[in-house]
Amino acid sequence: METTRRQFVGSAAAAAMGPWNLEWAPADSVDKARLADAALNTAKRLGASYTDIRINRYRNESISTRERQVQSVNRSESFGFGVRVLVRGAWGFAASRVVSPEQVVRVTEQAIETAKANAEFQRKRVELVSAPKVVTSWKSAFERDPFDVPVDQKVGFLMGLNEAALKVRGVSFVTSRLSFVKEQKYLATSDGSRIEQYIIRCYPAFNVTAVNRENGDFQSRDSFGGPQQMGYEYLSSYPWLTEAEKAAEDAVQKLKAKPVDPGKYDLVLHPTHLWLTIHESVGHPTELDRALWWEANYAGTSFLTPDKTGKLRFVSRPVNFFADRTQPTGLATVGYDDEGVPGQKWNLVKDGIFVDWQTTRDLAPLIGRKKSYGCLHAESWEDVPFPRMPNVSLEPAKENVTLEQLLADVDNGILIYGNGSYSIDQQRYNFQFGGQTFWEIKRGKIAGMLRDVAYQSRTTDFWGSLDALGGPDTYEIHGSFSDGKGEPGQSNAVSHGCPPARFRAVNVLNTGSRS
Amino acid sequence: MLLSESELKSITDSILRQVKAEDASVTISSTENSHLRFAANSFLTNGRQENATVAVTVWIGKRRGQVTTNDLSESALKQIVEQAESIAKLSPVDREYLPTLGPQRYKPTGGFAESTVRLSVADRARRIHEIISTCEKAGVVGAGFHQARGESTATATKNGNFRYERTSLAGLTVTARTKDGDASGFFQRSHWDINQLDTGRIANEAVQKALSSRNPQTIDPGVYPVILEPQAVADLLGFMGRFGFDARSAEEGRSALSAPGGKTKVGQPVFDAKLNIYSDPWHPELPDSAYAQDGIPSQRVALVERGVIRSLVYSRFWANQRSLEPTPGPVNLIIEADGPTATIEEMVKASDRALLVTRFWYIRGVDPRVQLNTGLTRDGMWYIENGRIKHPVRNFRFNESMIEMLAPGNVEMVGKPERVSGSENRGSRNSLLPALKLKRFHFTSQSEAV
Repeated sequence: METTRRQFVGSAAAAAMGPWNLEWAPADSVDKARLADAALNTAKRLGASYTDIRINRYRNESISTRERQVQSVNRSESFGFGVRVLVRGAWGFAASRVVSPEQVVRVTEQAIETAKANAEFQRKRVELVSAPKVVTSWKSAFERDPFDVPVDQKVGFLMGLNEAALKVRGVSFVTSRLSFVKEQKYLATSDGSRIEQYIIRCYPAFNVTAVNRENGDFQSRDSFGGPQQMGYEYLSSYPWLTEAEKAAEDAVQKLKAKPVDPGKYDLVLHPTHLWLTIHESVGHPTELDRALWWEANYAGTSFLTPDKTGKLRFVSRPVNFFADRTQPTGLATVGYDDEGVPGQKWNLVKDGIFVDWQTTRDLAPLIGRKKSYGCLHAESWEDVPFPRMPNVSLEPAKENVTLEQLLADVDNGILIYGNGSYSIDQQRYNFQFGGQTFWEIKRGKIAGMLRDVAYQSRTTDFWGSLDALGGPDTYEIHGSFSDGKGEPGQSNAVSHGCPPARFRAVNVLNTGSRS
Repeated sequence: MLLSESELKSITDSILRQVKAEDASVTISSTENSHLRFAANSFLTNGRQENATVAVTVWIGKRRGQVTTNDLSESALKQIVEQAESIAKLSPVDREYLPTLGPQRYKPTGGFAESTVRLSVADRARRIHEIISTCEKAGVVGAGFHQARGESTATATKNGNFRYERTSLAGLTVTARTKDGDASGFFQRSHWDINQLDTGRIANEAVQKALSSRNPQTIDPGVYPVILEPQAVADLLGFMGRFGFDARSAEEGRSALSAPGGKTKVGQPVFDAKLNIYSDPWHPELPDSAYAQDGIPSQRVALVERGVIRSLVYSRFWANQRSLEPTPGPVNLIIEADGPTATIEEMVKASDRALLVTRFWYIRGVDPRVQLNTGLTRDGMWYIENGRIKHPVRNFRFNESMIEMLAPGNVEMVGKPERVSGSENRGSRNSLLPALKLKRFHFTSQSEAV
């Protein structure tokens, strides 16, 4: 039997005497300072020139629904520690879930054993730039901890989304999901730093599908909202219900939309779409580890190389891309990175010229820098930290340019919302992006919906075709809960802010022409 | 140390004794991983991890709750049972609930070697040193990833089923790039027994691919005949194996195997008659789990025979809705020739004009209606003319439908299957896949990436 939102809320109210606010299992109280001392002293005694220990707890909650039913309510918790040592210029890392002084000593010895085994054959010794000694704590900005909100409220929120979509005629399926993450991180380094951090992230998402059973066609539309480093207040500060209804209308309309004619079009890319293009074509190429071939075996290298710093024109216009680990609601915003370097803001592209990199303490000296920008991150206590992307954003125009003004100067173009299919080569030259909804622009006005649209370009050609940006009022921040990189694979949450932007004469494909 | 069967049984018994809910399932996974990366001909990061997680799922009046932790203390286990039951009481009815399984009989499959879990970090360092030395001698720059991992898993249900399995995996991937960055080669293999992992061969194959890719020529994108090495097939078809055969989405009208009028393509010759596609947990080169979805004992499952779709995959819920039996798999993916096989050399000799593709990268779905994917070639592609490899060529982006690619008449020759993993999976999730010679493949733009 299906459960409507009204029925669900009613049954929840009837059971309101129950323990609505579930308590987490209390952590066994651990003396983190004592454990840190055990790791640092052991490593020093065994010859480490640098050591850090992270003692972290991660809590996740996810609720999944489909149409008028809840599919799952899951909570998980993971607690443990990881010790990283540097011995004779070689890294060693080991981790365990058993958090005790004896285990910390044993695992530190394991890390030392690995480092020494590798140091025997190390060609190029790892060196670190210094970091300030910091003893502090930091908490991400949020108003309401989602882990304090009863499950029934969350289920009610999702059922409301599903109902808003299902009431649109022609909708066949809807799925929705809420994900919450809480990280409690402790870092101690042999530099003397002791840092506690507390970070909360929130990710509502839905997908609506419309099916034409007569001809076997189906179309879907994902939510635009995306994840944010915010508390439960995100669910009320964004118009989720309105968007669910609009998504349903879009999915139905896509079944009858006009297939795009392949060719050159002016594109106006909305922030709900452009963030991902920035992520792939600006964020990843400016990772210094890629440029130095550290990722050659998996993610790939970069078309940017150190000799191009300060010389390569990345964008035709005098625009700025900045990296920022202090940006409000940014998913990669932190107080400090995983080796004690403070979160900071710097330019990657200034006035259209590529000027700087994302760095860590072992990358910075390789290009002659004396300090790190603080990009070291590990997904969990058990993962070895390595360079990860900070929030990378595109500054809006200083003037108050609206989306309508961007459209007004387009004779034959397409406005794209939402992120769809995305693919880019291992040096970040050639990319192809789809989207969620595509709107034909004729003589400055929206002329109707298109379908089967993807655009394909080369990174510097594409950014070279940028000719206008929206103003400060059009700036939005979107992002990914799980950007994958590295071996073994780790995910990183990262955001990208941008205004809508206009690009001239971009190659557009019809992806459905052979269906 | 991985938890033993008796240790796992003791924990699941203890948890189930505390469950008050009508139904419950407990899964414990104990893992040990060790890995090492190298790049720019030098050692990079590494790690050793020991973890264990326990997931408790309960149903009270068909209302479901699940909690997972990695704290195996008695007090924590008691608390997660209570939390799972509290969540279940708050949750709406799980309309797809089916009672957990009672006692089942499982036929062991293998796929575990103690030597893999007991890896020596000193021995690994020596092997990686040898690989870097091979690269240095060849004048190329090496990067790679070595991993060894083990897992012991047990699941117990309140209805009396208990299953236990141990698996291990040792894998190595190597990329070799020429110093000028103009050519690159890649190779990977894995095995459950680290003693069977031929690290020297993997390094040499990557180096040779890099050296034979020097001085690539630029040719126009377009439709070409292709020879796909098993690695390239694995990169493409990982997508199909995961999503392609689900009965529910096909019958709901949102799959490439849906047919107009609410029907499916079961019984239709969707693929070339030279192809058989199946899953077999007891295959000697690809042992996989003895249990499939929800603990159903695995069986050999034929998905495609002589190009005809023989069956779709029914979950327990969807099978129940359709009054059918749930599908006891697939747990792995095997594609074989229905007929004679050919080596890559024979495929080259049989080609008037073709491209030999070693690997694809960054493959993403574009149109699920025809399983249209986009992605790029990477780490070696060569132009073939009159039965001979003429020269390496620069990379392409493709937009290709997996359905059209394997359609009747498009598959000209099929190789002997090899154990290989999609390269975006970092060496996990192996399949047995052959090289394929295809009549038409759609390359849509150039990429100067190396």
